[in-house]
Amino acid sequence: MANYHFGRGKARWAPYLLLLPGFFFYLLIMLGPSLATSVYSFTDATGIRGAPVNWVGLDNYKEFLFMGQASRDNYDALWRTLVFCFGVTTIQFTLGLIMSVVVNQKLRGINFFRTLYFMPVILGAVIQGLIWSLFLYPLGGPMAQLLGAVGIQSEFLGGQPSEAFAWVMAVQIWANMGITMMIFIAGLQTIPEELYEAAKIDGASPWSVFRNVTWPLLTPAVNTNLILNIIGSLQAWQLFLVLIGYRNGTQVLGYLIFAQAFGQTSGSVTSAFRQGYGAAASIVLFCLVLVIGMSVQVFLRRREKRILG
Amino acid sequence: MNATIASEPATKKQATTRRINWGRIVSYLVLLFFAVIYLGPLLMLLSTSLKTMPDFMKNATALPATLNFQNYADAWEKANFPRYLTNTILYTVSATVIYLISAVFVGFPLARGYVKGAGFLLTLYIIALFLPVALIPQFQLMLSLGLYNNPFGYVMLFLVNPIGIVILVNYFKTLPIELDEAAAMDGCGYLRFVATVILPLSRPAIATVAVLHAIGIWNELILPTIYLTNKDYYPITRGMIVFQGVYGSDWPTLAAAVLIMTLPMLVIFLVLQRYIVSGLTAGAVKG
Repeated sequence: MANYHFGRGKARWAPYLLLLPGFFFYLLIMLGPSLATSVYSFTDATGIRGAPVNWVGLDNYKEFLFMGQASRDNYDALWRTLVFCFGVTTIQFTLGLIMSVVVNQKLRGINFFRTLYFMPVILGAVIQGLIWSLFLYPLGGPMAQLLGAVGIQSEFLGGQPSEAFAWVMAVQIWANMGITMMIFIAGLQTIPEELYEAAKIDGASPWSVFRNVTWPLLTPAVNTNLILNIIGSLQAWQLFLVLIGYRNGTQVLGYLIFAQAFGQTSGSVTSAFRQGYGAAASIVLFCLVLVIGMSVQVFLRRREKRILG
Repeated sequence: MNATIASEPATKKQATTRRINWGRIVSYLVLLFFAVIYLGPLLMLLSTSLKTMPDFMKNATALPATLNFQNYADAWEKANFPRYLTNTILYTVSATVIYLISAVFVGFPLARGYVKGAGFLLTLYIIALFLPVALIPQFQLMLSLGLYNNPFGYVMLFLVNPIGIVILVNYFKTLPIELDEAAAMDGCGYLRFVATVILPLSRPAIATVAVLHAIGIWNELILPTIYLTNKDYYPITRGMIVFQGVYGSDWPTLAAAVLIMTLPMLVIFLVLQRYIVSGLTAGAVKG
């Protein structure tokens, strides 16, 4: 331990005492409950105060994974979560990369554009969702007119489940592309100018400059963005709540957990609080995040070693 | 103000743009295309908020014939803004202030190794970013503590933010240890040292964490949905969703309400952009 400068004896306790409140709340509100999720997944806990909580072993998991229609719905939600994750990650990553390169140039008014693209990030799911509900207004809203002009009719968020799902994905990307872009910009700005100048002297084409200088040196930002996007989109579901509510054929795991554990609060309908079952579903989602996150991490580490040595 | 986001756009594209002029043109086309996608929904919101309902029904995308500011007054009243906004502000300010004070006193000794097992404690904070969501046991806890549907309980939920601790620790590590030695030599105590020396020196990091944390609370929708059933306690996010449920088809009023809710965020964003961006991308590149 580093030498402490502010006295001995009783005075030595000062940092401990002052650290305690923050750490206590951290244990109480976050770390403890987070770890306790696995314990609750083996019980039939409800959200009702004073109701008995019984140990039910693996029943919740059995029901979640192997029981008739309900488990088929769960697998559908799981599959949709993966589709959402894959779609959002690939598109957001690609767009963020392209936009960061475009926006990192010396162009007139560039700061305005950069600010504009980042702006939705701070608005939060409620505003993001409501703004897009209006933009996708099916009875002659802007998007309806635009698509109508090329002969496409759409109900957007009220249409086919798969269509509504795709629009949520689009809004999710619209809302968060700015973060990906900013992380790439931070990465771009660490690349020394001399490398570009050397490439210029060698007469390299813009594409080969990107391929051989920018892309490899962007590796840390690539890693960060991929991990953030993957983990974030596996757990994201708030836009579903705001844009379409709990609707069959559109749920992802995160929303399913919420609906099971806290009732389907779309409108005033509240279903039973099945918190034990919800906890089991949380653990399933956690395992998904863990497996995918770990494998991507391993892949990225190897890639980084290959590129940066 | 815009210049704050990144003070020095790189000059590396100069070569490209001088040689091939269309590189610049393509860039502008891309920029404009995306500007439409990012600005379009906002402009639609603004235009709708100034229309009358019959106008909107007739043609949703046309510009408003007359500027109808009545929608804003209606929305302010009907969406119960004064109450919900007050609640949101109270929750955000109180939780952010308490969190920040506690976080500084967690982060500093961890950065300096002034408590035993500092490395382990820091790992505990980083781990939380990957663990399952705490939602369900947290709810059980609040229920048994009698803090369900209680504004104090609600604020308590926001006294925690591991990312903020990590940002602070990284910043504290850049402050020279000689400061501590010199202050101690002068007989300054630990509490006074952190409060009067470290705190002012760490303003950039503290501002970043404050903004990051406050935005999270301001935008939070799930926790009020779960924990607050009394309408008097609703923050603005929850209030908006309820308002949408009731006035969902009255888009002019709804749009006005959304705009009222968006404006403070936009202003804060433009003023504090630098801190927001650094908060949300913190530690991203160096890892």
